[in-house]
Amino acid sequence: MNRIEELAVYKDDIYTCNRTRCGFCREECPVYRVNRYETFSCRGKMLVARGLMEGLLEPSREMSETLDRCLLCGYCQARCALKNIDVIMAMRQHIVQTGLPAQVHRENTNKILKEGKLFETQRLIKRQGDTPFYVGCLYRSRGKELSTIFSVCERLDLHPRVGEEACCGYIVEATGFSHEFEEAQVRCKENMAAQGDGPLLTLCPTCTITLKERYGLPVHHAILAVHQKLKEPDMAKKIKPLNLRATYHDPCHLGRMLGIFEEPREILQQLGVEIIEMEHHRYFSTCCGGGGGLTMVDDALSMEISKNRLRDAIGVGVNTIVTVCPTCETVLGRGALRLLNETGEDMEVLNLWDLLDQSLKGSVS
Amino acid sequence: METVLKEELIGKAFEELEKFLKERVTQSSMHRMAYSRDWSPRERNAANLPDLVVIPKTTEEMVKIAEIAYAYGIPIIPFGGGTGMGGGVTAWKGGIMVETKGMNQILEIDEKNFTVTVQAGITIWELNEFLARHGLWLPHQPESKRSVTIGASIGCDNDSTFGLRYGKIKDCLTNAVVVTGQAEAVRFGQRKCSFSSTGYKLLDLLVGSEGTLGVITEATLRVIPLPKIRKVQGFFFRSLNESAKALERLLSAGLTVESAHLNCRNRLHFYTHTYREKFGREPDVPNWAEAILFLSFAGDEEVVEFNVDRATQILVQEYHSQLIQEREMVEGWWDSKHRLEFIPFKQKWPDSQRKKKFGSADIGLPVGRLDEGYSHYVELAKKWDQEILGMTVYNESPNKTTASISFAVFVDDSNEESVRKFYQYVREMSEMAIELEGTMSSYIGDGDRLGGFNKLEHGRSYEYMRRIKEVFDPKNIMNPGKKFESHWIRKDPNE
Repeated sequence: MNRIEELAVYKDDIYTCNRTRCGFCREECPVYRVNRYETFSCRGKMLVARGLMEGLLEPSREMSETLDRCLLCGYCQARCALKNIDVIMAMRQHIVQTGLPAQVHRENTNKILKEGKLFETQRLIKRQGDTPFYVGCLYRSRGKELSTIFSVCERLDLHPRVGEEACCGYIVEATGFSHEFEEAQVRCKENMAAQGDGPLLTLCPTCTITLKERYGLPVHHAILAVHQKLKEPDMAKKIKPLNLRATYHDPCHLGRMLGIFEEPREILQQLGVEIIEMEHHRYFSTCCGGGGGLTMVDDALSMEISKNRLRDAIGVGVNTIVTVCPTCETVLGRGALRLLNETGEDMEVLNLWDLLDQSLKGSVS
Repeated sequence: METVLKEELIGKAFEELEKFLKERVTQSSMHRMAYSRDWSPRERNAANLPDLVVIPKTTEEMVKIAEIAYAYGIPIIPFGGGTGMGGGVTAWKGGIMVETKGMNQILEIDEKNFTVTVQAGITIWELNEFLARHGLWLPHQPESKRSVTIGASIGCDNDSTFGLRYGKIKDCLTNAVVVTGQAEAVRFGQRKCSFSSTGYKLLDLLVGSEGTLGVITEATLRVIPLPKIRKVQGFFFRSLNESAKALERLLSAGLTVESAHLNCRNRLHFYTHTYREKFGREPDVPNWAEAILFLSFAGDEEVVEFNVDRATQILVQEYHSQLIQEREMVEGWWDSKHRLEFIPFKQKWPDSQRKKKFGSADIGLPVGRLDEGYSHYVELAKKWDQEILGMTVYNESPNKTTASISFAVFVDDSNEESVRKFYQYVREMSEMAIELEGTMSSYIGDGDRLGGFNKLEHGRSYEYMRRIKEVFDPKNIMNPGKKFESHWIRKDPNE
C-alpha cells in the first residue's frame, strides 16, 4: 500500500493531534453540528490522515466524499495550534491523485483552465478608472450587485478600473487539483499583467486571500478603501443614518484568515447600525455553509449549515444579518428562505455594500 | 482491517442495526478509525478500531442497539467527549462504538425548580451556553468542558474546577436514565430532588461506572443562578502542606471560596502557556516559592470583595504567603484553567504536546500528606524515566480541603517500551497512594489501566463490585476490558 508523501510533511502535527484529542475543534465545527460522526470533525480527520499516512486506510470514494464535506473555513485551526487545513488539503490532493475526486470538481477545474471562469453567467466587464479592481467570478455573474458596488465606490471618489480577468483558481486548489492550480495561476497572471503593477482592490474575500497568499500580489479588499474614505472630514454629513439593529457575520477568509474584523464593523456603526454580536464572531465566527466547494457536492448540507448560522443570529435576538462576501450573502440568503418556509422564522440577509448604497444615496453628489 | 470479533456476527448485527438506524450505523474502516483512541497515553501509532459505529438519537434506539448486542454477545462502548485519560473508550475488545453525541437535546428547563433535563450526549459547554440565556449555569466544569458530555462526566466522575464550592457531577445529579446490559432503560435517582433516604443509592453507582453498567442516555441536573461577578487571586507559598492548611483556615473562618488549585512550580509553567504567548516571557515567580495557590470567589460584588480581602489578609499575615501582583499571570492561568480563551491558532493543548504526551497519576491523598506524596512523585518519575510536568491539587468536595491530585509527566509515546514505563510509574504511584491512606484514582477512573489491579485498594469489597456488575450486565457486554481488567497494569507485575 502506498504511504502518501504529502501527509508525511505534516507527520508531527498529525501525531500531536492524535496524542492530544482535546476536541476543542469539534463541537462547533459547522459540518459536525449536522453530521455527527467524528470523521466529519477535524479531530476525526486527523486520525483518518494518520490511517492514510501509515497505510492503515486506503483512499476510497467514501473518503473522497467525507473530505469534500469540509468547508476549509479554518474554525478548527483557530481553536488549535496545528496546521489542520493543510493536512485536509493534502488529503484532498491525494484523492485527486488516486482518481477519486467528485466529477463536479473535475468539471469545474477543466472549465476554469479552458475558459478562465467558473460560472456560465459571467459577463465580460470593462471599466475605465484610476483604481484597478479584481472583480472575481461571483460578482462578474451578478451585474446588478456589481453596479451597486461601483456606484458606492464612485460616490466615495473611488473610480474602479476593470479589465479582462481570469478566475483566481481558488476552487481548483481547494478541491485538491494542485497541479492544475499552477496552470490556472499562469492564466490569471497573464490577464493581471494588463492591469499594471500597482495595488489591486478586490471584492471577494476568497479571491483576496488567494491573490495575496498564493500569488503574492499586493491586493486589498475594497472594503478597506471604503473604510479609509469614510474617515475623511465632513463624511458624517454625507451619511444618512440607517437606524438598524443587526448582527455582522465575519466571512471566514476576510475575518479569521485576513484579520479584517473591525473595519466592516466600524463602517456599520458609522452608518448607524447597532451591532449585536453572535456567540461566535471574529476569529471564532462559523462558516455560512458555502466554503471549500461544499455547495457543489452537497447543497442540502450547505443549507443546514446556513440555517444553523442564521439560528445563531436569531439566538441573540436580531432578524438582520449583514455580511460582506458574495458567497456568504448567497448561501445565507438561500438558507433564510428555507428557514422561512420550514419554520416561519424570518431573517433578512444584507450585504454591507447595499447598506452603503442606502446610506450614501442622495447625500453625496 | 482486523477485528477481534467474528465477522459473521458483526455482519448480522450490522444488518439488524441498519434497519432502523439507516446511515447512522457504519462498518467503514474510515469512520471506525476516527474512534480508535482517546487521550490516554498509548503508543503514538496505537489504533483500537471498533467493529461498528452507531449514532442513536433516543433512549429507545439505544435500547434496540443493546438488544442486538445482547443477542450476539457484542461489546458496547459508549463514546462521549473522547478526552478521557484512562483509556475508557478504547475498543481493545472490539464491539459497537456508541457515538452518544447524537443524543444532544435539551428536554426540559424547569426554572422554578432549578433543574434541567438533557439527553446525555450534550456537551457541558453547549449546555452552559443554553443555561446562560436563562441566567443559570451547571457548576460542574471539567477542563475538557468544550468537548466532554454530561454522560461522560457521570460515567468518568471527572474533575471540576469549582469542586470546592459545588462538588462534582454527583452533587448536581438528581436522576439519570441508563440502558443496562440487559437492554432495559431504567431511570435511577430521585426525580428533581437532590437526595433520598429510601432504597439504595443506585444513582451514585453510575457515577464513575465508565460505561460498564450501561449507557447513560438522559440526566436531570440541579443548576444554579450565575454569579454576578468572579475574582481570581494567586498566592505564593513556601510549602504544599502549608498552603493546604491555609485553605482549611479560610474555610473555617467562614469564607466562601469557589475554587482552589494548588500547583507546584513545574505545573505552573504548563498553565502559563497563554501568558507566554501574550508576553513572550516567563512570569516572575520568587525562588523560594514551592507552591502556588489560585483561588476564585464569586457572588455579589460586596460579598466577593469582602471574601477576597479577608482571605488575602489571612494568607499573608498568618501564613506568610505572597499575593501575586502581576494580574496578567493570574488572568493567564485562569484563561488556561477555566475560560479556555486561548489566542487564536495557539491553543495550549496540542501546542504543549508536540514532542511528548501529557500523562498523569491521578491519585487522591489525605490533605496532610502532600509533601510526602510530592517527594515520592519526584522519585518514581525519575525511576521510570518520566519527565516531570508538575503537580496540581484539585479541591473536589464542597467546603473542605481535599487532595485530588494530578501528578503529571510527559510520556514518550514513540515506542511501546516507554509507554509501558509510564504505566509502571502509574502502578507504583498507585501503590504509594494506598500506602499513604489515599486512593489510586481521583478523577480519571480505572479505564483500561487499573482494572484488576484496583483490588489492592478495594479488598473484599471488590467482589461485591463484581456482583453488582453481573446484575446490570450479565453477559459482560457493557464496555468490557475496563474497571475489572487492565490493558496495561497486571495484578502481578510478572504476569
